[in-house]
Amino acid sequence: MLQCIFLLSDSGEVMLEKQLTGHRVDRSICAWFWDHAVSHGDQALQVIASPTHYLFQICREGITFLACSQVEMPPLMGIEFLCRVADVLSDYLGGLNEDVIKDNFVIVYELLDEMIDNGFPLTTEPTILREMIAPPNIVSKVLSVVTGSSSNMSEKLPSSTASCVPWRMTEPKYSNNEIYVDLIEEMDAVVNRDGNLVKCEIYGEVKVNCHLSGLPDLTLAFSNPKILDDVRFHPCVRFRPWESHQILSFVPPDGQFQLMSYRVRKLKSIPIYLKPQLTSDAGTCRLNLLVGIRNDPGKVVEMIAVQFKLPDCVSSADLNSNCGTVNILSNKTCSWSIGRIPKDKTPSMTGTLALAPGLDRLHVFPTFQVGFKIMGIAMSGLLIDRLDFKNLPTRPYKGFRAQTQAGHYEVRS
Amino acid sequence: MAPPATAQRNPSPSQPSGKGEVSDLKLQLRQLAGSRAPGVDDSKRDLYKKVISYMTVGIDVSSVFGEMVMCSATSDIVLKKMCYLYVGNYAKVNPDLALLTINFLQRDCKDEDPMIRGLALRSLCSLRVPNLVEYLVGPLGTGLKDNNSYVRMVAVIGVLKLYHISAPTCIDADLPERLKHLLLNDPDAQVVANCLTTLQEIWALESGKSEEASREREALLSKPVIYYLLNRIKEFSEWAQCIVLELVVKYIPTDTNEIFDIMNLLEDRLQHANGAVVLATIKVFLQLTLSMTDVHQQVYERIKAPLLTLVSSGSPEQSYAVLGHLHLLVMRAPVLFSSDYKHFYCQYNEPFYVKKLKLEMLTAVANESNTYEIVTELCEYAANVDIPIARESIRAVGKIALQQYDVNAIVDRLLQFLEMEKDYVTAETLVLVKDLLRKYPQWSHDCIAVVGNISSKNIQEPKAKAALIWMLGEYSQDMDDAPYILESLIESWEDEHSAEVRLHLLTAVMKCFFKRPPETQKALGAALAAGVADFHQDVHDRALFYYRLLQYNVSVAEKVVNPPKQAVSVFADTQSSEVKDRIFDEFNSLSVVYQKPSYMFTDKEHRGPFEYSDEVAGISIGADPADNVVPAQHVEANDKDLLLSTYEEEDTRSVISNGSAYNAPLYDSSAPLVASQTQTDIGSLDTSTSQTPSASLAIDDLLGLGLSITTAPVPPPALTLNPKAVLDPGTFQQKWRQLPVSLSQEFPVSPQGVAGLTAPQALVRHMQGHSIQCIASGGQSPNLKFFFSAQKSGSSSYFLVECIINTSSAKAQIKVKADDQGATNDFATLFQTALSKFGTA
Repeated sequence: MLQCIFLLSDSGEVMLEKQLTGHRVDRSICAWFWDHAVSHGDQALQVIASPTHYLFQICREGITFLACSQVEMPPLMGIEFLCRVADVLSDYLGGLNEDVIKDNFVIVYELLDEMIDNGFPLTTEPTILREMIAPPNIVSKVLSVVTGSSSNMSEKLPSSTASCVPWRMTEPKYSNNEIYVDLIEEMDAVVNRDGNLVKCEIYGEVKVNCHLSGLPDLTLAFSNPKILDDVRFHPCVRFRPWESHQILSFVPPDGQFQLMSYRVRKLKSIPIYLKPQLTSDAGTCRLNLLVGIRNDPGKVVEMIAVQFKLPDCVSSADLNSNCGTVNILSNKTCSWSIGRIPKDKTPSMTGTLALAPGLDRLHVFPTFQVGFKIMGIAMSGLLIDRLDFKNLPTRPYKGFRAQTQAGHYEVRS
Repeated sequence: MAPPATAQRNPSPSQPSGKGEVSDLKLQLRQLAGSRAPGVDDSKRDLYKKVISYMTVGIDVSSVFGEMVMCSATSDIVLKKMCYLYVGNYAKVNPDLALLTINFLQRDCKDEDPMIRGLALRSLCSLRVPNLVEYLVGPLGTGLKDNNSYVRMVAVIGVLKLYHISAPTCIDADLPERLKHLLLNDPDAQVVANCLTTLQEIWALESGKSEEASREREALLSKPVIYYLLNRIKEFSEWAQCIVLELVVKYIPTDTNEIFDIMNLLEDRLQHANGAVVLATIKVFLQLTLSMTDVHQQVYERIKAPLLTLVSSGSPEQSYAVLGHLHLLVMRAPVLFSSDYKHFYCQYNEPFYVKKLKLEMLTAVANESNTYEIVTELCEYAANVDIPIARESIRAVGKIALQQYDVNAIVDRLLQFLEMEKDYVTAETLVLVKDLLRKYPQWSHDCIAVVGNISSKNIQEPKAKAALIWMLGEYSQDMDDAPYILESLIESWEDEHSAEVRLHLLTAVMKCFFKRPPETQKALGAALAAGVADFHQDVHDRALFYYRLLQYNVSVAEKVVNPPKQAVSVFADTQSSEVKDRIFDEFNSLSVVYQKPSYMFTDKEHRGPFEYSDEVAGISIGADPADNVVPAQHVEANDKDLLLSTYEEEDTRSVISNGSAYNAPLYDSSAPLVASQTQTDIGSLDTSTSQTPSASLAIDDLLGLGLSITTAPVPPPALTLNPKAVLDPGTFQQKWRQLPVSLSQEFPVSPQGVAGLTAPQALVRHMQGHSIQCIASGGQSPNLKFFFSAQKSGSSSYFLVECIINTSSAKAQIKVKADDQGATNDFATLFQTALSKFGTA
């Protein structure tokens, strides 16, 4: 049971305070928390015991969402709820930052009011909230000026609070029925010092943007569902068809939502290789880094970037590359953005690192983090077989897309 | 991050500091109050916004209360909402003015728009002014009957709010009875869920006062209610599902079919997008199958994938909380996760606490098949930029080596660390090599060759230095220059700041002396002289002790300092298995994240020393909402001074309690009571030490006294057991959950006993012969698990035992729960005797 929610700006100022129970939480808790956060930096835990309360905190775009409780409760309930609050606010306000929250604090209060009562979360379903409280978009602002009605409240209560499909409002109507399905995958990989692929795994999400009239019933099938190691579904997905035939059968929410997420383990090939070479000699270290395509995925690999932190014992670095740009930031982070790989040459970065006085050779080796993006392909190999509709008067337009990008993709030296 | 802003305490000059602006607002509001001009709502809205924004910044705008209420006559819902917000915030400090709002709120409660009815009712209940409760009952009653579910939902929570303001009013109006009806009949799932939370909280708080309330509380856990909720589970919102699942955890099914039914029904919840639901479901699965060892293992297999997905999907905050739970499970059943070790590999940019959890899991899951890969991975971290992680990784390698898998290769790796010539790596490695040598003396030759090359001057950390000195003393016969290194260390005695190092130095010189007397004699003399003159008491005492020992008899001294040593077989675990079990029982709670059972942190008064058995009793009920719910009024009273003076309070408390009563504030004025409590405490301490012969033996062994391990003969117990006692598994399970652990201990099992354990049935029959019945057994070698029960003859009190026998270490670990706690010790001895006879007959 949460007792209070605070929103803090990136300087620790309390932007908003929402008391949830009769027990009032004093604001001084925020000062305590801020001192704690400042003194622990990145290492501050998400669940902290302060002298008086247990605090749950998440940070999004510089805004800290802080919730207080004095009783035992499932930690994930607190954290998940805050994450949902952040998602909903960011969705409503078109992004999160200090100004947008301060400008729209009335809406934030209204939202919190409907999302949680007396410390128990009620509904966090964006579709339902949207029906109760209209988002402050330009359209509604214009409308309010034109019609003179200045309420940003919808006139009637969402009927879906009582319907058995809580994620869908009743019978929306569209002149163009269309649905888009995106496979978005993130590849996590670790290549160890010897150049062996230690771990390679894909975390993927099926995102749907749905504009269909009425109450449609959809089925989505993959051609190779066997490769999925574990799946998680939006509440709208029926479990039995999946269990028996690996078919997703569902009545979709309106608008954008995440239909499922999945994990594919034990992949054997990675699209990009990176070969670091470090040789030390008498106080300087020579670095040579090669990047290239391996196991050509058949689509263009874009936005290739390499980032690594120079070891503390490096006093200065002189690094150059034959394509792309190299930047060394003040916190000793070196980033090399390559973009696409040119046809005629292999990108390489070479240079020397001067070690701190007294050190003969480099003992601590950097870890290279690689970024990339490939449009048009899901690297896990997952393929959508078909998408069928029931309960729709006209055939809608269907769009499918896929994309893979690097998640935690690291190469050690 | 930027330094903390002090805005909330002393507003900066640019912000409106109060008075002027507020009185300005007051004036403007007053002008608008009576106006009916068109567009007046817009200007009101601007003013309201200003007021609320002041309030948000922390400026006291309570002085415009009257004007705000006067302006509240409007049909604009946003205005209304802002007004409700304002009123809710200030009503409590202005109880007199709050009366003004009742009128318009009550009117809004009858509005034709259900949204306004709901909002007004919510605000009415949120005023929280005790002398206005009489105005609440009526609207709440109507609200509960409203035909719109939104209003009913608000009304149900309103009942809870009313209860917290004035419990008698709520009970007298018979509102809980009406909620009970709604709980079982309302078509809207959210109303049902709110009824459930409200009733749970009310009955939990009431159950202390009336029998009937505790019966009602039990009734929530009855089969019809639970089944009704489970059957509707898919209708509930994800958060309500969590609440229902929390309730189901406490339900005790009557037979195994029921358990399987529940699990089948809930299986798809494991695939839910919300992590909180997944964890709550996992808790249900784990608790339901506790007594069914085989199924319990299957549950682990089943929940593995969802947990691993949760870790890799959500935000870093979520994965941290999930990782805490995964850590707990991995520690309990490392074998089941041994093929998933790659999931515990650390990513470069993860925070330290995540990496640390992962390293611990990697250590736990290491076995014959994956050790090589895990150690290879860990060695890469040792060369990592991140120094704390490098240290932890080296420790992890050492721990794996101590687990006895593939020691050969690991020792080589450790020795390679020494060649890396990084001071912190060397330091950590030395400590590990020392531990390794204590367990595997056969490796001394290889290790000493490398360690001998390390210059003691390069080592600064006391722990590492002490380890090196220990090795110099222990293996001085194999290291040519050991006496001379020791001698040079003694020469710089004055510069050595750590007493630990000086103590080790004394002992090492002594050991060396008996192995190579001529070379060491001079150094020994210098060391003893320096030691006797040392200002540190322990160093002084040890030096004096050695000196007198040598004076008395040199050969006795040698026996004391250099006895034949046995290799250490198992190093003690830092966290007792009991604490771990307790945390497991509190799965899906903060305990897991803190890695402490809740009694160690939830209640301030329980911090510090505590009396164990009482504590346990509190905890096992602690799973119930009763103890989870802090009565709001009570908290309130305490809150202010807690926030201001926690630290001092804790200090004084620990002084007063002086190692005994954790509920000191109640007793601190009455000295005799405290005294008597301390007395009992000491008594219980005594018994507990006498119960753990194995522990004290281990200490003796550490001190190198070389006692042979024999268990003292156990005196014949006075307690007799009923040979025909029958306890059915259902009752057993129920009792097991209700009763606190009154005793838990570990003792060795005879080799014959271990040999006889090839079939668990043999032990079951054997124990039957001693009037101890087996309820369930399971597990796989080397870990076998049994549940036994026994009944005291001539009484109805039962003893319940969970017994885990590890055949590879020949140890048995028992946990006893008893109706009659006083007889626990007698029973434990009886049990131990019975077990020790197993295999001998």
